[in-house]
Amino acid sequence: MTTTGRLMAVLAMLALGAASTACATVQPWQRGRLANRCMQFSPDPALTAFAGHWQESREGAAGGLGLQGGGCGCK
Amino acid sequence: MAASRVLLVGVLATVLAVAVVVFLDGTQPKAQDIQAESVGVMFHTFVDSRGVTVLSPTVDFGKDFTNRTGLRVGFGVDAISAASDSCARCHQEGATNTRAYLNGSLIKTYGDTKVSVGGEYSRENFYQATTLSTSITRSLNQANTTVAGGYSFSWNRPQLHPDTIVEKQSSQTAYATMTQTLSKSTIAQLGYELGHVTGYQSNPFLRTSVDHIKMVGVHPDVRTRHALTARLRQALPGATYLEADFRRYLDDWQVHANTWSAGLSHEFGPKLTLSGIYRRHAQQGAYFYEPAYTGSPQYYTADFRIFPFDSNLFTGRMILTPSDGLMMFPAGSSLTAQYEFYKSTTDFESAIFTIGVRMPLRRP
Repeated sequence: MTTTGRLMAVLAMLALGAASTACATVQPWQRGRLANRCMQFSPDPALTAFAGHWQESREGAAGGLGLQGGGCGCK
Repeated sequence: MAASRVLLVGVLATVLAVAVVVFLDGTQPKAQDIQAESVGVMFHTFVDSRGVTVLSPTVDFGKDFTNRTGLRVGFGVDAISAASDSCARCHQEGATNTRAYLNGSLIKTYGDTKVSVGGEYSRENFYQATTLSTSITRSLNQANTTVAGGYSFSWNRPQLHPDTIVEKQSSQTAYATMTQTLSKSTIAQLGYELGHVTGYQSNPFLRTSVDHIKMVGVHPDVRTRHALTARLRQALPGATYLEADFRRYLDDWQVHANTWSAGLSHEFGPKLTLSGIYRRHAQQGAYFYEPAYTGSPQYYTADFRIFPFDSNLFTGRMILTPSDGLMMFPAGSSLTAQYEFYKSTTDFESAIFTIGVRMPLRRP
């Protein structure tokens, strides 16, 4: 299996894992730590947007951080 | 064909979210939105090994006018001083540039569903972009599951400086994500993003060698991009938190990349949080990339972004939230200071420093 194939398999397993636990409910009173700022995927959108902008100006890959803007005329 | 696939994914993501809204009932609390009811001011400094310095002040503002309607506005400037290699070729005394952007979005909340419509306009020397976007987010299963989808369209106008010709470029992006609470201490997110870019995509400032003559690159005028993401947040014992992200990127220029990051954050009491994050990016170059070209190639490039390379990024961050306020700022305000060091195998290094304050518009 190629590296890409293995990565796809890992992603598929993660998806299955997430889906299989979709019915396991964590109650609101059990979410003290889940509500912590450190548990958020983009705790400060301004920082995320800036990182996405400068990384896209240096790298050919992009995406995965939310909707993209129109880019820049990076020189 | 690819454009229709982008539209299809966007429509499917929207239909999925709307179907969920219509047929399922949720009674969950709203997801946290740090930009809601706050003003954030940040200063970013970017210095790289080419001698380029970028100062970027940004301001964002969030205001909920009613329980159902909110507004988010952002404004920023990139003040670029000193010249990159491509500028210095013609401007040996140095060249400066300024990029300014303004974005905004209107958010409507319907029960556990949020719908946003927004746009962004950015302008700099020899480039301008206009973007319209929409997204929808829905909480399910007592807020243990969140599905989201979105679509954006950008209309870009690069100018072929030093010529006055203005080219056309458009890009569409569609994404869908699912966020799942796995346990009392674990959250995972899976996402897929599809992008389609048409029009002029070469870089008019970068030149490569074709038969020993320096020429501006020529890129294909269609590019379809895919990004798959898997993200994890895990609360560990002792007020410590783990973050781990992975992205698999591929496009039809055969730029393939794996990007992963892992980090730890620790809360030293309620006032201070320190974080350390490592990010690794490894990409394969575009199929038409060569260090130098001979003969009459159809496509050729000097764009470092589509070269094969690896990079490492190290990030350290401190967030300080004094309980009685931050100097003249009200209680609930926080100070963020972040340092990043980036190094790639294309002999490029940069250091990025960010400092900023976020102030609540309502007292906590």
